[in-house]
Amino acid sequence: MQSTRSLPRWRRVFQSNRLYLAVLMFLVVFPHLVGWITGDSPFGVGGRPRGQSVFWQSVFIEVFILAILTMSYNLIFGFTGVISFGHALFFGLGGYILGLVLQMTDLGPEIGLVIGGVIGVAICGLLGFLMGLVSLRLRGVYFAIFTLAIAEMFFIYIGRWPLTNAEDGFALNNIPELLNSTRNRLTYYYLALVLVVLTFLFIRRLINSPTGKVLLAIRENENRAQAIGYNTLTFKLVAITLAGMMAAGAGMLHVILNKKVGPETLGLTYTVDPLLMTIIGGVGTHAGPLIGTAGLHLSERVFNREFIIGSTTINIGQNWSLILGIVFIVVVLVFPQGVVGTWARWRQRRRAARAPTEGGDV
Amino acid sequence: MQRTRGTYALILTLTVGLLAFSFITSAGDLGSFGTTLLSGLFLGALYFLVASGLSIIFGLMDILNFAQGAYFMVGAYVTYSLFHLEAFQGIDVNLRFPLGVVVGTIIGGVLGVVLERGLLRPLYARPIFQLVLTFGVAIVFGEGLKAIWGTEGYSWSTVTSFGIHQSQFEIFGRQFGAYRLFVVAVGVVLIVLIGLLLQRTRIGIIIRAGVEDSEMVEALGINVRAVFTMVFTLGCAVAAFGGAIAAPFLGANLGMGNAFLLPGIAVVVLGGLGSYMGTAVGSFMVGLAVAVVARFASEFLNQTVWASITPMLLLILILLLRPSGLFGKESR
Amino acid sequence: MADAYNVLEVRGIHTFIGQFHILEGVTVVVPRGSITVLLGRNGAGKTTTLKSIMGLTPPSQGSITLEGQSLVGRRAFTIAQMGVGYVPEHRAIFRDLTVRENLVIAQRKGDDLERRADFIFELFPDLKRFYSLPGGNLSGGQQQMLAVARALVPENRLLLIDEPSEGLAPVIIEHLIEAIRKLAAQTTVLLVEQNFRVASILADRYVIIDDGRSVVSGQMQDLIHDEALVQRYLGVA
Repeated sequence: MQSTRSLPRWRRVFQSNRLYLAVLMFLVVFPHLVGWITGDSPFGVGGRPRGQSVFWQSVFIEVFILAILTMSYNLIFGFTGVISFGHALFFGLGGYILGLVLQMTDLGPEIGLVIGGVIGVAICGLLGFLMGLVSLRLRGVYFAIFTLAIAEMFFIYIGRWPLTNAEDGFALNNIPELLNSTRNRLTYYYLALVLVVLTFLFIRRLINSPTGKVLLAIRENENRAQAIGYNTLTFKLVAITLAGMMAAGAGMLHVILNKKVGPETLGLTYTVDPLLMTIIGGVGTHAGPLIGTAGLHLSERVFNREFIIGSTTINIGQNWSLILGIVFIVVVLVFPQGVVGTWARWRQRRRAARAPTEGGDV
Repeated sequence: MQRTRGTYALILTLTVGLLAFSFITSAGDLGSFGTTLLSGLFLGALYFLVASGLSIIFGLMDILNFAQGAYFMVGAYVTYSLFHLEAFQGIDVNLRFPLGVVVGTIIGGVLGVVLERGLLRPLYARPIFQLVLTFGVAIVFGEGLKAIWGTEGYSWSTVTSFGIHQSQFEIFGRQFGAYRLFVVAVGVVLIVLIGLLLQRTRIGIIIRAGVEDSEMVEALGINVRAVFTMVFTLGCAVAAFGGAIAAPFLGANLGMGNAFLLPGIAVVVLGGLGSYMGTAVGSFMVGLAVAVVARFASEFLNQTVWASITPMLLLILILLLRPSGLFGKESR
Repeated sequence: MADAYNVLEVRGIHTFIGQFHILEGVTVVVPRGSITVLLGRNGAGKTTTLKSIMGLTPPSQGSITLEGQSLVGRRAFTIAQMGVGYVPEHRAIFRDLTVRENLVIAQRKGDDLERRADFIFELFPDLKRFYSLPGGNLSGGQQQMLAVARALVPENRLLLIDEPSEGLAPVIIEHLIEAIRKLAAQTTVLLVEQNFRVASILADRYVIIDDGRSVVSGQMQDLIHDEALVQRYLGVA
């Protein structure tokens, strides 16, 4: 058998990422594939966003957005071991800031987008930084409470803020034509896909870097990491700040897609979803958030209809959150490693069981 | 000793400050001041019912039970339904409410046993997952209530047992709802009862010892896990009881859980981890603060939002300024 | 023959704490009526040995028997109810509880606290004076006495005492030595003690634990005169 060591670098990278690349290829052709199968053009029907392809594009855009949010959550919860119950704050605030800049200033869609995006990401980064500073004094459950309180405070306040139409929120129509998801949904699909890939690569790079090693050490035992001589606060700050910025980006994608900014983006849902998706997919793994997000969001779409069992009609969509919560509890109790961790373990065990009979280097 | 005296001075200053602020801003209108005071005490009593379980469970078992607010809701929904459902209208009106409270409390307790035995016990070696799990359970409870009772909230009809819901009393030329006073009285009775349980009984001694060092309690021959189950069950039952007696005033809706969970957590942190005294005092301080801010904001700022975010603001301030709380130990 | 003679037999136990292999084969035999002391450097595994016997850090291998009954796999509270008293290191009394409450909590069904109290107060008269005071208000020596007293409330078959003299003034240590001697007339004691002088006054037998293993054991009298052994494992003379 050929050792992977002797291969040139690009082939090695290719080899070890085969699965990811295959999924990426699939996602790239996916809109066209659906279009080809169903006969509905991926660009919409009659200039309007109609047809199966366009429908599935929007489903996947939502998956991409949630995937970015979940990956950012995994960076602090999964890789650094910091529990935050306030991640929705960054998601919602990012969208609100972008929306305010676009709708309330005369910068125009293009410049407004750039400026709003930069300001939004910067403010959420700063907020993450400040909240991270607090994690110096408040650890574990205290930090979780703190983040929950901050997020809920913003949620309630903005939900009644007259400037942003309180609980109704406001429409976002001053966006660049290229990003108009009604007319150019396919473009938006590829944009979101590119951002997912970039986020994924960035986090993977970060975790494999020396900084990432320290983050993992903090997760295992913060006191020990501190004793070895790392300034753990700095590293936690880096993780929380970056996660805040990524979540803000996800929130912006969300509001541009829906052309609407509303307080529900600050609500507990966008804290709970990434938490569930991270744990169900696999805490502290790279593929976990992706699998968790895709699996949960797609199954919600698939099951969101009425099922008739015997004489009773069950609408799973209505009780989706209930089912999700129960799945989550079962996963925490039975498969705390999530899909990816459990799968890796199962494979390891199988390999270990096979190794003695087949001999070592296969 | 010095520190304790400082703590009492601080409590006194804060309370007097709050009351003085409220008194001055009500511009000598004693009726308005009285209303604020009563609603502060009313909230304080309800906060106590959520926070006492939260605090003792946190102190003894190191679990912050995020589902505590959900138990409050369960109590409210069950009591509401028992009182209003067609099927129970045959029961005498004076019996229906007490019955609802008892059933609501029992259901809360049963759900408490289920949560501790079935879900939390396997996770004592993994505290992070326990925390996350109670969070998940809170969601499941909320969604479960939604599936059964729908998203619309319910408000109590005009009748209650013994007419206590409707009756009023008059001080300073203003009408006060007797029901709120009743809730305050119930809260005070429970503070005393639970206090006596902790101070005077053997199980109380065991609980207080367990808050300090549960491993050592076990090494003295006491089945600490059985104590955990009992305390968790009682904590959940008391929260459900709180929801039950709040129902005639607040009705039953899906927002109640969080509306009482966060102030409850604020009380626990303010009082200091595992300190019963702190919880009792903290409940009324947070209740008063919320009432005073609510009154001030609606009167002078013409906004109600400040009252809603006061518990979170308080919680954030306490965490930033004095995370060990009023009666907490520095070393913890 | 050994069963009737030994109160406690610990044979070849291995204990993990998290992923760390702390005990890698500890054997300790405690004869009836004796005071046996565990000696060894800091971090050798003495405290873990006591905790393993108590069921607080359950061993993964090996056997532990109390008068012939196996303790392995039992929870700490059952082991305590079987007659093992535990005095942990650092004087781990309940600081918020009064002296009385500290003793009440150790009381079990059928124990007569009044009668035991006479015995306890005879050993430690200070505790009687501060009966209703919180444990946290006592001096270090008094707290240690309370910790020992707490283990005396039930009539235990075996007492595990972890570093009673740690951080105490010489006068108080003398008092404690006196008390432990008196109580040893009634029960069997397994002691952990860093202070070699205290150990040599109190103990009949010794077991040296080094790096998670029991390496030597024998009569205390012999160890006192074996300077080479003392030097090698304890680094003191």
